[in-house]
Amino acid sequence: MSNALLEVEDLRVAFAAGGREIRAVDGVSYTVEPGRTLAIIGESGSGKTVGCRAIMGLLPVGTVISGSARLNGTELIGLSDSQLRKHRGSDMAMVFQDPARSLNPTMQVGKQITEAIRTHRKVGKSEARDQAIELLRLVRIPAPERRFSEYPHQLSGGMRQRVVIAMALACRPKLLIADEATTALDVTTQAQIMELLLELQRDLDMALIFISHDLGLAASYADEVVVMYAGKVVEQAPAKRLFGTGGTVKMRYTRALLDAIPHLERPAHAELPVVTGRPPDPSALPVGCSFAPRCPSAADDCTAKAPALAEHAPGHRWACWHPCENGATA
Amino acid sequence: MAAQLPDMTAATLTAGAQDPLPSLVSAGRLRWQRIARALRLWVPGGILILLLFVCFVWPHIYSIPPGDSGSILAAGEPPFSPGHWLGTDPNGVDIFSMLVYGGQVSFEICLAVTAIGMIVGGVLGMTAGYFGSWVDPVLSRVFDVLIAFPALVLVLAIAEVLGPSEMHLIWALSFLSVPGFARIFRASTLVARQQPYITAARLSGTSNWKIIFKHILPNVLPGVVTFGLLFMGIIVIIEGAVDFLGLGIQIPQPSWGAMIAKGQNVLTAQPEYVLIPSIVLLIFVMSLNLLGDALRERWGVR
Amino acid sequence: MALAQQVQLQRDPGARSDIARRVAGSPALQLVGRRLLTAIPVLLGVTFLTFVVMNLIPGNPAQLILGINATPGAIAKLDATLGLNHPFWDRYWLWLDGLLHGNLGISYSNQQSVNSDIAQFLPTTCWLLLYALVVSLFLGVVVAVLAARRPNGIVDRISLAISMLGLSVAPYALALVLIYVFSVRLGWFPTISNSLGNSPLTAIRALTLPAASIGFPLFAVYTRILRADIVEQMQREDYIVTAKAKGVPPWRVLVVHATRNSLFTLITLVALNLGTLIGAAAIIEPIFSLPGIGAELINAININDLPLVEGIVLVFALVTVAGNLLADLMYTVLDPRIRYGRAAS
Repeated sequence: MSNALLEVEDLRVAFAAGGREIRAVDGVSYTVEPGRTLAIIGESGSGKTVGCRAIMGLLPVGTVISGSARLNGTELIGLSDSQLRKHRGSDMAMVFQDPARSLNPTMQVGKQITEAIRTHRKVGKSEARDQAIELLRLVRIPAPERRFSEYPHQLSGGMRQRVVIAMALACRPKLLIADEATTALDVTTQAQIMELLLELQRDLDMALIFISHDLGLAASYADEVVVMYAGKVVEQAPAKRLFGTGGTVKMRYTRALLDAIPHLERPAHAELPVVTGRPPDPSALPVGCSFAPRCPSAADDCTAKAPALAEHAPGHRWACWHPCENGATA
Repeated sequence: MAAQLPDMTAATLTAGAQDPLPSLVSAGRLRWQRIARALRLWVPGGILILLLFVCFVWPHIYSIPPGDSGSILAAGEPPFSPGHWLGTDPNGVDIFSMLVYGGQVSFEICLAVTAIGMIVGGVLGMTAGYFGSWVDPVLSRVFDVLIAFPALVLVLAIAEVLGPSEMHLIWALSFLSVPGFARIFRASTLVARQQPYITAARLSGTSNWKIIFKHILPNVLPGVVTFGLLFMGIIVIIEGAVDFLGLGIQIPQPSWGAMIAKGQNVLTAQPEYVLIPSIVLLIFVMSLNLLGDALRERWGVR
Repeated sequence: MALAQQVQLQRDPGARSDIARRVAGSPALQLVGRRLLTAIPVLLGVTFLTFVVMNLIPGNPAQLILGINATPGAIAKLDATLGLNHPFWDRYWLWLDGLLHGNLGISYSNQQSVNSDIAQFLPTTCWLLLYALVVSLFLGVVVAVLAARRPNGIVDRISLAISMLGLSVAPYALALVLIYVFSVRLGWFPTISNSLGNSPLTAIRALTLPAASIGFPLFAVYTRILRADIVEQMQREDYIVTAKAKGVPPWRVLVVHATRNSLFTLITLVALNLGTLIGAAAIIEPIFSLPGIGAELINAININDLPLVEGIVLVFALVTVAGNLLADLMYTVLDPRIRYGRAAS
């Protein structure tokens, strides 16, 4: 038995829309150790958000979920909503993308935090208020007593995101999932929030999953990286293996993502090697490798059968028939 | 790390490839969703077509008794009597015929008023929404004035002035439909106008009217059509109300509203004189509403 | 104002003008002012249109009052008394002037002032509409929340079916059906009521069926729109997902978060619908012989009593305009985003 905090095994999520079946997540597995940081990288529509929402139980009624997700040994998939609610916000918490829309515009910011506290703990109003102000202080919001009674629109974007993080940390979760938590912020604020998250992680001994489309963030902040495409994991490795010097990126898709990042060292006006095409329609997934239509090195066996995700090198798994040769990374 | 990998890895290493994973959502559920969607559109649509057919085509195929006169000898026949399958009213007039001819009037008025509203209201509304400047506030105030009067009251007043008749009723009801549609057209135009491709068209020198009719109109149309169907239902009810009060289509010309009003007198003993036209009216309006809803769902109008 | 601000005011008179400036510059008040200004031309237009339409009715009012056998001399004399021989614009000005002083003119038929006539019949209508509004609103909110709890569930489907019925039924047809079932057959309520009686019980008995005829379509509209709004909030808004992610129980999410934000829409809807509400009275009251201004209006139209018709129509229109204005204002003022001014960022 491992001591992993979160073990996800063959997670699959599908729902019916307009008479067609949409396969958002198609067999995803990974593990998160306590106190470590996992980055899940993918384009929009890759299933990265849906997978985590499935674990939290935040998907709409009528979604079919199968597979396993164990938090500290407790199986989450298949639990009733009232049972899952005990874990939501207390053991595991989630922070979302747009802080302007994540907060109830007609409710005071402080009240939204005390709500998070009082949902899980039997605490009086004034004590909850004190705890909330402490949390606001923890996320570096100046003058927390004043901010407590303000409304979301009175705060700047960065401060709003801090409030959302404070709400998520209200019950000292062991796992925090940050779903594109910094995408809606400007670059400076982005860095500040990421630093804050990592500091909080260290102070509270929390595992962090952050979901993003930004490989750069993964390179800077993650311990382990999972790359998703069209609902499946296509590459998985410790960050150092993928991005460090002498590191290797095997799967063509990850390679393409890396190459598409603009670098200062490139010659001016050089064309950016952008990945052409669009992700496949989740209601009509191709038979072979999902990336084959867009892959520059696709061959016949790529479109015939889908490659399985396998550990071809210690700690490094990928799903590709013709992976990249060992080469320098970005 | 190796110890933590799920068992699946061993199996897949040997398999080397991955078969497509089985479907999670039952095929039955998908099929039912598709069928239900189609039914929601075609059942009300079918009913409306049927009503149209009965009112306008059936009398030409099969002769029915007149709807405005009848012999006293046949007065008060119950439904399913020979020759009068819905019975006759206290004056001997055949009820089914009254429904048919009354339906003709209701359909005509409803379609005419909606058409006038869409065309005149459409032009005015799109003009106000597209050109803005002083045109918009002025036109909007005019519409506000008309909309300020409760619908029935406005129609009553105008019908009163012009005198009761089908044509005059159409004019009077148009005072409702033109501002109503103008508002919808205006609102949709305002939204459509913000789209980048409109700016692109203007920058490329396309004439304003061409933009309005080629670009804005197709985008505005789904919302207008679904609104139009619901609006038709309202028009039929208001027209019925005017007839009910005796201030609209005059007897002996049949109309559903007048039938209901006359039925009032014998409500205690023979409620069917009120019930039958009321139910027909209900079915008509409900079909319009249901069809509007189904189209709204299909076209993704909000 | 916070205590700190009050203290500061006392110490620093300059702060007073600062607050005055802030109030004057407050976006909420500015919007309120602007809305009021746009209402004025509309009100004027309403008075003008009413007057124009009423005065186009064919037939000489004096003749109608005096009857067929009136002599031309008598007609001419009555004409002069009523001021009917003056040009159109003079008469309009006269009427408008009277309006601004609150005087709606003299009724042709009973020589009473229109004001007193309206005052006599208005209360009944007000009670009727209040009854219809309160019950339909209450039921509408309850049903909408229950339905939104599980979209496409049993409660939701039933409520959608019932509200579709309410949207499609003609109020006058409904009234007659209700009379047949509850009055004729079951005898629970009286068929016609010439007055509201002396006790609340008789009033309620008299008003229930008419209020139901008006209220059922209203209930249908409220339920539909509120339910759609709540469901949309629950499914599309991120703050709902955040609340769920916090582990907040579903009922609380529904009521405290989603419904609270949807109530804005509902209140606006109610205010906008005031006009329809009054219009419905015009057709329902005659059916039940209720002594309200709706019935009075129909009477007045039938006997061509111009000033009475003008007066009542004007009151109707004014209420509708006021309702629209109220809806606008409430929306602006209640939304905390506008109340507290621009964001700090």
